[in-house]
Amino acid sequence: MAGVGAAEVAALARPGAGPLSRLARAQYAALAAMRWQLLTHGLRSAEGMFELGARGISCLLYALLGVGLGAGLGVIAHSLVLERNWQLLPVLFWLVCFLWQLVPVALASFQQQFDMSGLLRFPVSFSAFCLLYVVFGLGDISTLIGVLCSLGILTGVSVARPDLSAWVVAGLAGLAAVNILLVRVILVWMDRWLARRRTREILSALFVMFLLSLQLLNPALHESRANGERNSEARAAARRTMAEEMKPLLNGVSAVQQWLPPGLAVVEMEAAAEHRPARALAALGALGLYVLATGALLAVRLRAEYRGESLGEVPSQKEAEKESGGWLLNGAGPVAAVMEKELHTLMRSMPLLYMIGAPVFMVIVLGSLFRSSASLPGHPYLLSLPLCVAYALLGPAQMIYNNLGAEGTGIQMLFLSPTPIETVLLAKNLFHALVYGVTALAAGILATLILGRPNGVVLAATVAWLLFALPANLAVGNAFSLAMPHRLNLGRLTRQRGSAASALLTMFIQTTLLGVAAAVFALCLYFGRLWMAVPVFLVLAGAAVFAWLRVLHNSDGVGNGRRDLLMTTLAKAE
Amino acid sequence: METAAIETHGLTRRFGALTAVEDVTLRVARGQFFGFLGPNGAGKSTTIKMLTGLLEPSAGTVEILGQPFWAGALELKRQIGVVPEGMALAGRLTAREYLRFVGRMYGLDRETTNRRTDELLEFMQLAGETRKLVTDFSHGMQKKLALAAAVIHGPRVLFLDEPFEGVDAIAAGMLKTMLQGMIQRGATIFLTTHVLEIVERLCSHVAIIHQGRLVANGSLEELRAGVASSLPGAESSQRLTLEEIFLSIVGAGGQEPAQELSWLA
Repeated sequence: MAGVGAAEVAALARPGAGPLSRLARAQYAALAAMRWQLLTHGLRSAEGMFELGARGISCLLYALLGVGLGAGLGVIAHSLVLERNWQLLPVLFWLVCFLWQLVPVALASFQQQFDMSGLLRFPVSFSAFCLLYVVFGLGDISTLIGVLCSLGILTGVSVARPDLSAWVVAGLAGLAAVNILLVRVILVWMDRWLARRRTREILSALFVMFLLSLQLLNPALHESRANGERNSEARAAARRTMAEEMKPLLNGVSAVQQWLPPGLAVVEMEAAAEHRPARALAALGALGLYVLATGALLAVRLRAEYRGESLGEVPSQKEAEKESGGWLLNGAGPVAAVMEKELHTLMRSMPLLYMIGAPVFMVIVLGSLFRSSASLPGHPYLLSLPLCVAYALLGPAQMIYNNLGAEGTGIQMLFLSPTPIETVLLAKNLFHALVYGVTALAAGILATLILGRPNGVVLAATVAWLLFALPANLAVGNAFSLAMPHRLNLGRLTRQRGSAASALLTMFIQTTLLGVAAAVFALCLYFGRLWMAVPVFLVLAGAAVFAWLRVLHNSDGVGNGRRDLLMTTLAKAE
Repeated sequence: METAAIETHGLTRRFGALTAVEDVTLRVARGQFFGFLGPNGAGKSTTIKMLTGLLEPSAGTVEILGQPFWAGALELKRQIGVVPEGMALAGRLTAREYLRFVGRMYGLDRETTNRRTDELLEFMQLAGETRKLVTDFSHGMQKKLALAAAVIHGPRVLFLDEPFEGVDAIAAGMLKTMLQGMIQRGATIFLTTHVLEIVERLCSHVAIIHQGRLVANGSLEELRAGVASSLPGAESSQRLTLEEIFLSIVGAGGQEPAQELSWLA
């Protein structure tokens, strides 16, 4: 060890076993400093300032949503506790859990994820690795909304029964811990399952079976709805019968849910309210076991990642043989080449497929919500189909708004080749239009299965709106893609960099397009001429096509003018 | 006088207050194997980016094959091939799919694209990797694929940024043979690399860039003579290697590190 003094060796912090060892603490400090430096360096550019501003606005919007939900839940919790209605309190807790888990599914591709693989080259202990993984995610949208909802319930219950405050804090903290860990468990396991062909096929088969079961259930549900629409007496009678029939089932569900985390949190509070501390402590202990079990499930996946697991896979032999035989698209030109590349990239990237698939899956949830609340006065049941379809199109819209994001270093190839950027964007637009159409069709079929056959005029107006929304999205998408691209990680769902600015603008444009649709529908309904929406949307579609062609025409100049920034952003090292 | 393959006048690129490349004027004749050298951060990659249309110069002009070259010069782009710094690969395609994609982007017909793809994959020893995605390739394999993509359309001018980095000795030997074959058939090659032995063996002309400025330009013999004349033992010029010439020109020759890293084992 010539030249290496004992003092220098001693200066190296030893890797400790625990997440709070000297080395681990030094690493946390280094990471925090690095993230701070990244933030401050980001502010040197206009894009960085804009991104930070967008992040602030997003947080504010979601915080407002969380505060609103929390206040509502708090008021309901307050009245339920005052009325000693402990049977209904679990509904609130389940609602919080549902939101906590569903928000990341709906927003996974919008949110920034922290790529932990970069830490593996350092002497980071496994426990520190796990802690960092959990802690980093605490700033996400689901935690923000979940915590604000929990605080609302805490306030409501504490005001009604101040003596229960400590127990409520303990119960809600346990439930929050389960939720925080469960969100991450779902994401990392989905990453794992979706990355492998076999598990992906099993999940796809389960999804198809689920759709088939919906199709089988649909006639029965519609028969019940049709009967219910005859008259109010018949509807009331049907409700009573259903309530009687459902009672044993609901009792069973209630008994089972008491053993699940939201139920255990309520059992703990109820026992404390009834001065049965042993039962309350037992429920709290059971909640703790759930925290441990969820943590263990997360640790299994993180252990694999910590060991450097690669989720990459190669195309199947069959696929390889098929591709060596010929081209998918017969045209020899660059348009066909780019479309074929886009298709290959999409089919081999789970994050992209998830980005498209998650909103379609959410149509099931939306459709069910529309169905269950259809009897409320002023309910826009008539417009359920366009709303479901519009929601599902959030997925393809994200691809359209960042249509160069999947290129990575390949962006250089696009600028080196003698193909104009206009042609490249045209090919990408054609491919994305295809994806848009297929997604709209899938969402429409799903919504029809859940909500029943739509009104013919509504269907025609929805198609006309799509003809307007598609070129409008493509026009804005091309402009955004050239102005503020961000690199997509095509391999891992949990390693997206995301862009708050892009997400915020995407949502703004989508909301505007939906707002136009809502305004047109509302005006036409007001005048009792819903069919008028069709020609109005077709005129708007003509204007949108004109705008799209203009943007496409100018894309060559803009793209070449910004090529340095595009390459720096998309080709830079991960 | 025959037009040059590559010609620049006063080529300059500034990034804010930093001038990465300043007033570079050079001429690469057709059929030349041209080595472009410089220490890290000297401006080699920035120059290549400007020569290939990936970066707009702040000042100065670029001519390729006698025509002004800019990002929108699409016909001229058909005449050049590039292995850029980042390799420009599409990670989610197989090697075959990627080469077919590139061929079609350069406007090759289906038959030619397929035939050249097969030949290039065979030549680069990538034909057996039909199932692997590019993202799962080793660094060396990616380099070979990037080189195959750069030549699939038969360019007359080839720009190579560190083409041998990470490539094994056997493949490097084959690549050198391929490049020399291209030169014999009239192509021009503009090469940057830190492996000076390769430049010494392959290139007839060399330019050296240092801190953004061109500090030497000429044939190897001219450079050797120029450096030797400034050394005390001028008669030893024949024995000067390119490494010695390079170190002498960029000013690192004979310097000791300012501080010995005594804590290193």
